[in-house]
Amino acid sequence: MSAHSHVDGQLPHEPEKATLEGRNKVLGFWLFLGGETVLFGTLFAAYLALRNQVGDGNPTSQELFDLGLVAVATFILLTSSLTSVFAIQAMHKNQVKPMLIWLAVTVLLGLGFLGLEIYEFVHYVHAGHGFTTSAFSSSFYTLVGFHGAHVAFGVVWITILIFQVLRKGLNVVTAPKVYVAGMYWHFIDVVWVFIFTVVYLMGKVG
Amino acid sequence: MSSNHSASEQQGRRHKVEGPQKHIIAYVFSLVLTLLAFATVIAGEVNTMFTYILLIVMAGIQVYIQMAFWMHMKDRGHMYAIVGILTGVFVVFTMVVMAEYWVWW
Repeated sequence: MSAHSHVDGQLPHEPEKATLEGRNKVLGFWLFLGGETVLFGTLFAAYLALRNQVGDGNPTSQELFDLGLVAVATFILLTSSLTSVFAIQAMHKNQVKPMLIWLAVTVLLGLGFLGLEIYEFVHYVHAGHGFTTSAFSSSFYTLVGFHGAHVAFGVVWITILIFQVLRKGLNVVTAPKVYVAGMYWHFIDVVWVFIFTVVYLMGKVG
Repeated sequence: MSSNHSASEQQGRRHKVEGPQKHIIAYVFSLVLTLLAFATVIAGEVNTMFTYILLIVMAGIQVYIQMAFWMHMKDRGHMYAIVGILTGVFVVFTMVVMAEYWVWW
């Protein structure tokens, strides 16, 4: 089972781990995710320290947050995590078309999530909650906005991957890229679990 | 890290491909946890400290589901992944404790 025989021939089981390059890509991505954990952890720590630092008349988290909207956003992102699992499962069965469809569904759900977040932020700004309004608002927008930027990046990334697989097919070179993008998407959902818990739900409790 | 591939599987050439059922169960379980978390807060009237602990525990279970099942961390050969993420979590834990208890000393 040499790596070369897979490029044009039949795809091996778990094609993302068939070559040394693929295995290194996955390992390197895990180290990257460790670094991302620290990045988001820093922003969470800053938010936790500043979340009650609100000036007179500025909106607090209890007044501001709309849990209905957050619940819908959470549902969309959780569902997109499931559809990206289906994409990887289709990849493992060497079913290129279902894989691409599931990836496209994931991208669409990601866009839906971004739309909701943009609507939410616009709504907050109109409610007098700008980026520089208070220490709470700055740390809130930095943390939640950074997560939104990650979702936007993931949407662009997976869209480009869809086009690459359409052009070059699914092989031991493209499979690790799809696998790693799937890991990234799950990580984004993991971060969101903490955002809806720590920022929105705990912010509503007070 | 012992191999979980049996000899018969190796000889059979075709690996078992896992079905979607397990992932749908994980998805529904995550949904239920999310609904419970939102319901706890919307219902209110519970001890704040208790709510906090409940929310954190439910978030922890959801993250475990995502990482173990959907990011394949429970599978063999993920030693470095676990070490890498745990190192990150250790740094994060230190920073969160610092922010909560040291900044406003």
